[in-house]
Amino acid sequence: MSVKLHDLITKVRESTTTSGIREIISEECVQIRNAFRKEDTKNRPRNISKLIYIDFLGFPTDFGQVECLKLIAHTSYVCKRIGYLGLSVLLTENEEVLFMSTNIIRNDLASENKFIVALALSSLGNIGSVEMLRDLAPEVEKLLKSQTAYIRKKAALTAIRTIRFVPETVDRFVGCVKSLLSDKNHGVVVGGIQLLIEILKIEPKSISEFRKLVPGLLRMLKSLVDAGYAPEYDFEGVTDPFLQVFILRLLRILGKDSKKYSNQMIDILTQVGTSSGLNKNVENCILYESVSTILTVESPNRLRVTAINTLSKFLSGKDNNMKYVALNTLLKGVNKDSKSLKRHRKVIVKCLRDKDISIRRRALDLVFGIMNKKNVKELTQELLDCLPKAEHDFRFDITAKVCTAIEKFSPDDQWQIDTLVQVLTIGGQYIRDDVIAIMTHVTGRNQELQYYASKKLYNSLLDDRYRNQKFIQVAAWVIGEFGDILLKKSIEENESIDPSQIIDLCQIIITSSRNDDLTKYFILNTLIKLSTRIEGFNETIKEIIKPFMKHVNIEIQQRACEYFRLFEDKELLVFSFDRIPVKDDNMEKQEIETVQEDQTANENSMKNTNTQENTDQQFSPNNNQSGQGTEMNIMGGNNVVSQNKTQETSSIENLLQLDFNNNNNNQNVNKQTTNIQNQQSNQSTEDFLSDIFGTNNNPNSNNTQNVQNTKIQNVMGILGTENGMGTGRGTGMGTGMGTGTGRGMGRGMGTGMGTGMGTGMGKGMGRGMGRGNVNTQKKNPSAIIYNQDGLKIQMNFKLVSVNGIPAAMVQTIFTNSTPTPMTDLIFQVAVPKHLQVQMAPPSSKIIPANNIGKVTQTFRVIKKQNIKIKLAMMTRIQYKINGMPISKQQEVKNLPLIF
Amino acid sequence: MIKFILIVNKLGQTRLAQYYTTGLSINQRVALENEITRRCLSRKDKECSFLEFRDLKVIYRRYASLFFLVGVDEEENELGILEFIHCLVETLDRYFENVCELDLMFNIDKAYMILDEMALNGNIIETNKKTVIAPLHIIDQVSKKLK
Repeated sequence: MSVKLHDLITKVRESTTTSGIREIISEECVQIRNAFRKEDTKNRPRNISKLIYIDFLGFPTDFGQVECLKLIAHTSYVCKRIGYLGLSVLLTENEEVLFMSTNIIRNDLASENKFIVALALSSLGNIGSVEMLRDLAPEVEKLLKSQTAYIRKKAALTAIRTIRFVPETVDRFVGCVKSLLSDKNHGVVVGGIQLLIEILKIEPKSISEFRKLVPGLLRMLKSLVDAGYAPEYDFEGVTDPFLQVFILRLLRILGKDSKKYSNQMIDILTQVGTSSGLNKNVENCILYESVSTILTVESPNRLRVTAINTLSKFLSGKDNNMKYVALNTLLKGVNKDSKSLKRHRKVIVKCLRDKDISIRRRALDLVFGIMNKKNVKELTQELLDCLPKAEHDFRFDITAKVCTAIEKFSPDDQWQIDTLVQVLTIGGQYIRDDVIAIMTHVTGRNQELQYYASKKLYNSLLDDRYRNQKFIQVAAWVIGEFGDILLKKSIEENESIDPSQIIDLCQIIITSSRNDDLTKYFILNTLIKLSTRIEGFNETIKEIIKPFMKHVNIEIQQRACEYFRLFEDKELLVFSFDRIPVKDDNMEKQEIETVQEDQTANENSMKNTNTQENTDQQFSPNNNQSGQGTEMNIMGGNNVVSQNKTQETSSIENLLQLDFNNNNNNQNVNKQTTNIQNQQSNQSTEDFLSDIFGTNNNPNSNNTQNVQNTKIQNVMGILGTENGMGTGRGTGMGTGMGTGTGRGMGRGMGTGMGTGMGTGMGKGMGRGMGRGNVNTQKKNPSAIIYNQDGLKIQMNFKLVSVNGIPAAMVQTIFTNSTPTPMTDLIFQVAVPKHLQVQMAPPSSKIIPANNIGKVTQTFRVIKKQNIKIKLAMMTRIQYKINGMPISKQQEVKNLPLIF
Repeated sequence: MIKFILIVNKLGQTRLAQYYTTGLSINQRVALENEITRRCLSRKDKECSFLEFRDLKVIYRRYASLFFLVGVDEEENELGILEFIHCLVETLDRYFENVCELDLMFNIDKAYMILDEMALNGNIIETNKKTVIAPLHIIDQVSKKLK
């Protein structure tokens, strides 16, 4: 016995508890399943309607999918209607069941009943998959020329989906679109305009052909604007506002970058753009669209000013919707008219304090958009004023914008420091990590600033209120680095600071349970640096560090142990914690270029890395002096891979990645040592591993001095005896922390992107790394391994050597020739057992459309045994185009590389 | 383009949902609905009708106990969508004569038909109320005759 939908709903509504509802639904589902099994054709439509209702309640309904197919195959319209409805509600466009409906839809498209054709078209237009749309494109094209307007308009929209998903079919529809635009039926014209907009997105070159339509469109718009009362299309006194909006949107595209056609539009745009409006939503809606059009096309200045004034009227009004759209439009047109925008600055700034979060967000974006060197002080202050009152999420946005402003538009150094300290003290917990990099960047320039910054931070640090973690970390770093300057200059200025006060403060912070481990790393480093900068406190500092040698956190423990040990060799200590070299902007540029040339995995992954992760690494200070720039790079590279992944991929992958990292620890250690060797003697081929802790017998081709090299090895020696290289470093890696060295830190900072270079010595070392790590060979073969559906994947191979075993560095380049960007790109590679793959993250997850840009992803194939083999691999590529996920697997053989 | 159209009641229960090329699975849709509804329902009357959510912009309007939510991408005219929602409501109203939540629940197929007449594949197609309702009237007459 089957219940009516009406009764089911009543029953559900009568039930008061969720468990009651669940019971009713599961009972009903059993009934429906039984009916399906018995092939109960009579009640099938009713059952599907019930399933749609059940679907809304959030229960699984997938067992009804096939029944929908049976319904649409039925001859009666009533059944078909419910069937198609079920298809679009119960299925997503990815379901395989959907593909089975292709033939039924094909038959329905050829039906004589216009309602059946319309049903099939709607369904195809709403959920049609790529395959279906490709198969049925000829039918859709035919229907565009149908006698019935009702069919034509639906076919136009189905055509939009067709070309969006299957761009190569665009040629079919280019011919028909003009006739749609001259149709008498408004619905068909609306469909035609939208189809044309979509065609222009896919075939931007055809724009000159379609520009000829401008006069006709203008006439149409004029007749709509001037039309009196037209009952059929009347919306509160406006004739078909939707059609007007669509015409304006099409004009915007056609008039862009074309003086000639923009000129033709001036009259009508002036008429529409200056109409009174501001009362009814319908009028505002057209006004808004016309303002966007005026700002986009090549319109004369006076018209632009009028448009911006209209927007400022929107802004100062009471209606929040108008404020929102005005801010949104100003944001889009911000570059071209920043002069006229300036006059409206006050209104915009006022919106920062609006009660509505949507408006505040828009206002924040816009304030940042109009920021420049002249107004940055004022505007940043406005932002900072908003910070304490803003809600949690919004604070992150504000601090991010303030930080970028500090970096980008700073008028003078002192202001930079003042603002940085201010944002750190009031919003430290909401700030992104690279604020530390900005601070080091600023203070790196001269002693005056170093003193100014350290004094300011020290004074603020004394105040308990400001002690958020990020602030303490920055302050600790600056005070540690410039402690001596702070003391010396304060004496000169007669405001002498007692050094023991600084040490005491450090002790208070490091022993406080309120501070997290990362902060403690920083304080440990501050202490050890201070020991080299201030005379006479070594014993006190040793006493403070001592308890941490048994700390529960292994990283703190390790640092404490190693620092404690370093006190034994004064010279080494001083050398290890020498001040970071001054950063040179020009040098940095050069280095970045070099890096780009070399394109090794390390460098690539680092270039692509989020600055935030990097700073953590650069500033996670490391006791061990040995590796210098190079080592930090290698390790940095690996860490970057894992940390970057953490952000982008699911936790499972993350785990895998970590696991992968741990597994490779030993190997990495080996790599480091090789690199040290390479760095010291760029071309040296002898095995250095065996005598890494021995004397230095390699000719030094870098500008590093021999003395330093001996020291490097000394430290390594210390480490070796202390807790064994492998394990010591292993932990550092596994936790993704503590890989930069005391000096490496400085250099990492130099470029601000963790390339671990930037200054004198660093430069040489960085280069050493670039070549040392990877012994580049001359032949670099490449191959196109995939070229389908607009996606092209090219691989560039490079033979390199890891620990003397040849390896392949493969740079994969993805390009997209379709007009739609491909998103959520995941590229995976599997290799035979005797090989091993190390992947760096892709430069982006989105491949831009029309071959505009490319995405690169580098991976390294390493042999586990040293035998000669041909490289072969299995690749899997996953991406989304228009939201449709696509997954392809492919075996790659016959690669031009033997190693 | 329009990404989805949702009608929910003030308790957040979905009464109608139509998705256009969002690439979401059924489960993701349910999660999205819950999240967006929760956010929209908590907003005050005076605040603007737009809500940014992930890469979507949600435009919503309240009619008595029903919320109409439309998710769009960057290109869409927000005020135009508000007008479209209003047009949809008026059309539903004309067909059902003082539409209420129950009308939509009991005649969900008709409600979908009206929506399909007005929008397809995320694009607005017909805004003339008479034209939208005409096919429904024909169907109603035919099914009456059959009975």
